[in-house]
Amino acid sequence: MIRHPAFAALLLSTACLAACLAARPARAADPGITDTEILIGDVEPLTGPPALLGVAASIGHKIAIAEANAAGGINGRKIKYVLEDDGYVTARTIQGVKKVIDVDKVFAMLGISGSGQSIAVMPVLEKAGIPTVIDVAPVKFLWEPPRKNVFVIGQSYEEGIIHLVNYLADKNPGKKWGLITQDDDYGVTVRDGFDSVVKAKKLNVVYSGNYKKGQQDFSSDMLQLKESGAEVFLAGGIIAENIAMMKELEKLGVKPVTGIFWPGRIEPVLKLMGPAGDGIYAVDYVEPFAGAAGKAFLDKAKPLVSEAEFKGINRYTMTGYAAAKVLIAAIERCGKEPSWACTIAELEKTKDVATGVMAPISFGPGVRFSNQKLQIMQADTATLSFKPVN
Amino acid sequence: MQYLLQLLISGLAIGAIYGLIAMGFAVIYKSTGLVNFAQGEMTMITAYVAWTISTTVSGNVFVVAIGAILAAVVLGLVIERVVMRPMLGEPVFATVMVTIGLAVILRSAINFIWDAYPHGLDVGMGRGIAHLGGIGVRTGQIAVIVTLLLLLAAIWAFFRYSKIGVAMRAVAADDRTALLMGISAKKVHALAWAASSVISGIGGVFFALSYDLSPAMFQLGLKAFPATILGGLDAVLGSGLGGLLIGITENLAGGYIGSGTKEVAGFAMIIVVLMVRPFGIFGERDIERV
Repeated sequence: MIRHPAFAALLLSTACLAACLAARPARAADPGITDTEILIGDVEPLTGPPALLGVAASIGHKIAIAEANAAGGINGRKIKYVLEDDGYVTARTIQGVKKVIDVDKVFAMLGISGSGQSIAVMPVLEKAGIPTVIDVAPVKFLWEPPRKNVFVIGQSYEEGIIHLVNYLADKNPGKKWGLITQDDDYGVTVRDGFDSVVKAKKLNVVYSGNYKKGQQDFSSDMLQLKESGAEVFLAGGIIAENIAMMKELEKLGVKPVTGIFWPGRIEPVLKLMGPAGDGIYAVDYVEPFAGAAGKAFLDKAKPLVSEAEFKGINRYTMTGYAAAKVLIAAIERCGKEPSWACTIAELEKTKDVATGVMAPISFGPGVRFSNQKLQIMQADTATLSFKPVN
Repeated sequence: MQYLLQLLISGLAIGAIYGLIAMGFAVIYKSTGLVNFAQGEMTMITAYVAWTISTTVSGNVFVVAIGAILAAVVLGLVIERVVMRPMLGEPVFATVMVTIGLAVILRSAINFIWDAYPHGLDVGMGRGIAHLGGIGVRTGQIAVIVTLLLLLAAIWAFFRYSKIGVAMRAVAADDRTALLMGISAKKVHALAWAASSVISGIGGVFFALSYDLSPAMFQLGLKAFPATILGGLDAVLGSGLGGLLIGITENLAGGYIGSGTKEVAGFAMIIVVLMVRPFGIFGERDIERV
């Protein structure tokens, strides 16, 4: 029997505290979550030419977060987005990721910057164990071997190129081929994908060029392409390079069947290419804005972002949106007390999550790559849009 | 033959743009003894201002040209007065570092003021394709070659016959003696920055007209710098011609050796030339290198 009421109260409150702590292990173990907020971090290139993808992806994250917050947040907690600029410099990406994890103490990560940057931060992410969904630059190294806490949404560059070249080869049998690629890891991936189809389908490649990253004048390259007699051309540039190539071909008076890859599949490119860009083929795993899904996404986004942000929307906004939707859904399924372990387990259970901007997303036990379905599109200069062709 | 001519014309066109920017480098070096590592960024800013004028004020070529020239003058004067003049008398290394810092700021300004998307400069002309004996060339490319040649002649006359031109040469040769003769080095420096900004800005506007406008445009400065070294860091006219040589060399290498050699051909050329003439083809012997 306890004789002192004060001692009894102290004992009771200690017991209560112990019970409460036992019931809320996540709150003590995992950062980035309070009773009212959940912090999600991201590092993107917000300055320099690659800002085109970084800014757009961050807008996609913001749209998904704004949408979730408008619906009451994640089980009552509002999502706060912490965004850092890396200027597409790998050292700054590592610094930025460390900062958002260690200083801002975010609960989960989205993004992250380009392919090289994502690869470079992988050890940091693995060591931290923080739930991460990568959406900007899907490359095989990010999911092979699978890392427990890192999930990748998209499709591999190599698969994308294989899909595009296969399509163009089937559509243009017996034609002569030309290819030009950038002298970096992106270019190597494009070339590897191309070469695998060339070998399988025994394509006749009459021109194979390689340009230095940053090259702006393609007059001699395109003249060589013309002289080679190439009838089907895979333009392995990104944005400005593809524009320069197409305008050069227009100047030279030739118009081969041309394919471009998704990093350059943004609508303003068509305006700059003008008539030279009409009919070019592209491959992508996100919906074109000219389609019903694309229009619905833009309608949804308009009230959720500023006018300037709305103008910055491109395909990367869709990839960012899809990643944030999947992450938010996983945290939500963890209920009132989400933890890193639960979020990772729920991300793994992601099955056919519809985002409206790409095919439904799934992961699985040991599967950290969503392997999105690809589609071929064709440019229509009259409407400055890409339209699906299959 | 047609293949060679096409390579030469395209090389002259891009070389003329390099040449204009290279002349911008040389004007500042000749008048102040300084290598401006923000030249490519200044070129880019002027081109972006021209694009803004064309999309918000008027797409008329004269309005855009006058607006861009005025903007380039203001840009050059502001940089000289706010950033460079306080560095007068400071070690050259520190001053060069300031221009590098300025380059980073101007580069970032593109995203803050405009955006990362590529844009096309449309002034109603310059984008059409002319066929000269079966060789396709954009009218803007013809215009930039003609502009470079006219500017070369005008600058030669300016330095040779005008009072201000002679004063600039005097300051470049010996600023203390020039000061004793009543020439204001500060005014000459301000004029040099403004002139450099305008000349390279013209190159930037022509580039935007023939190609496009993007935040990567500052890299033109990196391509034009070898042209300045080749022509002579203190030789304004030589730098302009150096640009043409680099443009032609790049294109011939790209067309006959292989596309991968295009970007290194110009640099390979300056290594060879500098081994024979360390002060550049048209430069004077006593250049102090940074």
